[in-house]
Amino acid sequence: MEGSMTPTQPMRSGGFWAEAWRRYRRRPLALAALVFVGWLAVVALFAPAIAGTKPVLCRYKGHLYAPCLAFFDRRLEPAVFARDRFRGTYPQNLKEKDPDSWAIWPLFFQDPYRAVRENEWPGRPANPARDEGHPSASHPFGTDQYGVDVLAKMVHGTTVALLVGFVSMGLAGTIGIVIGALGGYCGGWVDMVTSRFTEIVMCIPTLVLILALTAIIEKPSIWKTMAIIGATGWTGIARLTRGEFLRLRQSEFVMAARAAGAGPVRIMLRHILPNALAPILVPITFGIASAILTESALSFLGFGPPPPSASWGSLLNDARSNYSMWWLVVFPGLAIFLTVLSYNLIGEGLQEATDPRLREARK
Amino acid sequence: MGRTGRCFSQERTMRHSRGKALVRSALLWLAAVVCVEGCGRKPDGIPADAQPETSAQEATRRSAETPVATTPPVAFEPPALEALNRDAKWIDRPVRDGLQRLREEQVKETPQMGVPVALEMRNDSAEANALILSALGRLPEAGQADLGARVDRHVTADLGSTNPIMISTSAEFDILGLTGFGLFSFDRALEPFATADTVASWQTSADGMFDKVVLRDDLQWSDGQPITAHDIAFTYRVIMDPRVPVPAVRSGTDQLAWVHAYDDRTVIFFHKEPLATNVWNINFPVLPQHIYADTWEQDPTLKDSPAHLKLEEKPVCGGPYEIVERTRGQQIVLRRRANWSTVGGSVVREEPFFKEIRFRIIEDPNTTLLALKAGEIDEMILLPEQWTTQTKGEDFSKRNTKVTAPEWVSFHFGWNLDTPFFADRRVRRAMSYAFDHDRMLEQLCYGLYQPAAGNFHESSWMAPRKKLAPYKQDLDRAEALLDEAGWIDHDNDGIRDKSIDGRLVPLEFSMLVNQQPLRIAICTLLKENLEQIGVTMNVRPVESTVLQDLTQKKKFQAYFGGWGAGTDPDSSENIWKTAAGRNFVSYSNAEVDRLFEEGRRELDRAKRAEKYARIQEILYEDQPYTWLYWRNSFYGFSKQLRGYVFSPRGPYHYSPGFSSLWKPREE
Repeated sequence: MEGSMTPTQPMRSGGFWAEAWRRYRRRPLALAALVFVGWLAVVALFAPAIAGTKPVLCRYKGHLYAPCLAFFDRRLEPAVFARDRFRGTYPQNLKEKDPDSWAIWPLFFQDPYRAVRENEWPGRPANPARDEGHPSASHPFGTDQYGVDVLAKMVHGTTVALLVGFVSMGLAGTIGIVIGALGGYCGGWVDMVTSRFTEIVMCIPTLVLILALTAIIEKPSIWKTMAIIGATGWTGIARLTRGEFLRLRQSEFVMAARAAGAGPVRIMLRHILPNALAPILVPITFGIASAILTESALSFLGFGPPPPSASWGSLLNDARSNYSMWWLVVFPGLAIFLTVLSYNLIGEGLQEATDPRLREARK
Repeated sequence: MGRTGRCFSQERTMRHSRGKALVRSALLWLAAVVCVEGCGRKPDGIPADAQPETSAQEATRRSAETPVATTPPVAFEPPALEALNRDAKWIDRPVRDGLQRLREEQVKETPQMGVPVALEMRNDSAEANALILSALGRLPEAGQADLGARVDRHVTADLGSTNPIMISTSAEFDILGLTGFGLFSFDRALEPFATADTVASWQTSADGMFDKVVLRDDLQWSDGQPITAHDIAFTYRVIMDPRVPVPAVRSGTDQLAWVHAYDDRTVIFFHKEPLATNVWNINFPVLPQHIYADTWEQDPTLKDSPAHLKLEEKPVCGGPYEIVERTRGQQIVLRRRANWSTVGGSVVREEPFFKEIRFRIIEDPNTTLLALKAGEIDEMILLPEQWTTQTKGEDFSKRNTKVTAPEWVSFHFGWNLDTPFFADRRVRRAMSYAFDHDRMLEQLCYGLYQPAAGNFHESSWMAPRKKLAPYKQDLDRAEALLDEAGWIDHDNDGIRDKSIDGRLVPLEFSMLVNQQPLRIAICTLLKENLEQIGVTMNVRPVESTVLQDLTQKKKFQAYFGGWGAGTDPDSSENIWKTAAGRNFVSYSNAEVDRLFEEGRRELDRAKRAEKYARIQEILYEDQPYTWLYWRNSFYGFSKQLRGYVFSPRGPYHYSPGFSSLWKPREE
């Protein structure tokens, strides 16, 4: 700003977002958090290639297959393996049934949903079960009571953790912005109706609602849980959006747009929303953190995704029956803690980078 | 925390102590084991008053064709006693003292090791378990027991009612078993007899139509009034009154034609038919007539009027103990009744070993174990996981020891035969062959449970003499059976399917299970196994009450459940007979129906056994259930406790049962 005082050296403004990003970068913790979440996203996306028992890619009887995709959806597993009675175990069967076959294996040969049996991978013993699965070289994070590898579970649990955050908050963000924008821009009775509706939804306790719904729903799944978290978690976003829209609709650029003949939808989406987005993003990031916590809490209570699930919260739930298996508490607990912390740091960084008032206060 | 906790702990099945007393154990036992499957509450899931037609009567009814007797047959004219005595040929039936018999048995055995050594021993092998049981399971020598001792027992839930005819949950059996008055009981071999503490003689007519019981003349209620034959006849009328919401006791009692008291001591039970099961039907709890005669008419619910509310708090008891204090949700304190053993200044019965019994109500199994380790309670049922991993250390063995014994409680996957999948026997058998039984037993159940092959325990008299081999995993056979049944992967998506009514139906179903980690793990193992052969199964954990509700309404495809064996094989008729109340899986086989019918009428034990053995063989072939395992009893006991002897129904639910436990005098 001092630069603008000297007319000889005009400084180009990078625009609002570039400016925000510049400021955000100055905060090492927020940046580290962003890197961490990015890393988690990579882990989630490549989970079956990192830990799994199905080849990432294999050539069998002259065709190329990627059986590891079955971890995302069972129907993606090529039917030829079922026909040839592989029964879910690849290493021995591939060689036996087609000596010319080859396969690229996941980095870590362990299954997130079951214990690996003896000699499933030639020469490797069965996973230790009961309380004997201490962390060791072959199981860095140990195994649970039933012999399932904790690291494999956590790798695949990342997908759940991230999905829960993004899907539920994506939904909440959409609902919240639409309702908030309508209320704030239109005002009058529309505002009256949307505001009261927001207040009603605020009264619904998410956790209790989910507990009640799981009792009714025929086939519970993680997607339905996400939908419920999203469908109840938009109230804060709606209120903030409404405030921003109320403020901005009086501004000169909106008036200019209106004078130029822009319709209300265009004004809302094209002119007001981009300017209102920064403060709205902040509750969304915090919301992601709390959605992850809600999902973990649900799994911990036994209402998470149906078993066998690899969610971090359900690992904590397993730990409950035997506290001497500390590795079932420490690793997933740490993962949840770090992820939630990261989202909170990102949210905070975003807030500080985009809110000029906070910036002033810092000075 | 509490949720799974409760389910775990309410696995504690019914206990009734003193064995004397009680209620037609066979049936109730069965009734109550929905507790095993469904975690406590009312055994039938539906309160009797809410649904009078389908309540206890239907669900626990023994016979489908006898109409439900909701009103006592008023037209019944009991014949004169003289005429009966003249015409009937009476056969003497056993009147025994369970405790005395156990004492006589133990005189013949010598303990294999001294008590101090046994107390120091760690129970880590079958041999150690046998040694500990033989040394610590003995009755006291004269003067050895501390008759002023108090025992702190554990129950998982509070009482619904203190009225003995309202008995239905395991906690109620534990407590009301000690305070209630009864004429009959059964021993460790589940042989019924009349208890010598209350009965002078018991006779049955040769045609099996009447049972005559003469009571002792030295019986008193806790308020000092005499207990008479009229109380028994009165209680029968109350139980059969359709206005009284009796949750469980009515089934069995409804098989009687009438109960008549001829004088203060003589009562005759009139049967509708001469059945092998009549001996269980005459066994029901007894109410004091002088207390309820007036209040019952005014308030048939037996719990709403002020007088009944007062009785709930301070019931008049006929058993060896009375309830002296009750803090809801926390504890119930029983004290030994002086006028049980001493009447009119003279000792007429042996005094029970404990002066006071305190029932601590704790739901969560982890909390319960902590209480046992801290010495706050003297006994508890251990979970297999607790047995294996949490009771090995000094913190447990400082104050406690643990023992195990086989129990007749079995668990199964139930297949709904009303679904297109499981209507076919081949599919059900394929399921049994697909499951990795060995892995379940070894890894999930810690090698502590025995495999189950069918509904009757292999050591029971009704099991087939040629032992049925439990199913073992055989994936090739499972796949062959599914292929044969037409379940083949037609559309190449890796999941087997079949064309039904022109529509391709994939072999995908849900398995209902309650929220207990071990059970969920077992279902998950089946899911893993089925996935290997192209079958999709979704594990669906639900609240126990939801599970009970869905199974009762038959709204399920498969479920995980369990049953405790009754004292009589006839009590499982309502699980297997066509359209019977507990036939959740809709099993129907004319031969099984007929065999149950014949078994009840067959009075010769050996011939009866053959019929039930045949039933088991048919069920084994049909596999309406995939039988999984028999669950042992696992108990943690304080080192101060002695005298525990196990029956197929645990250490408490027979005669002498709990009354053989004692604490030694301090040296």
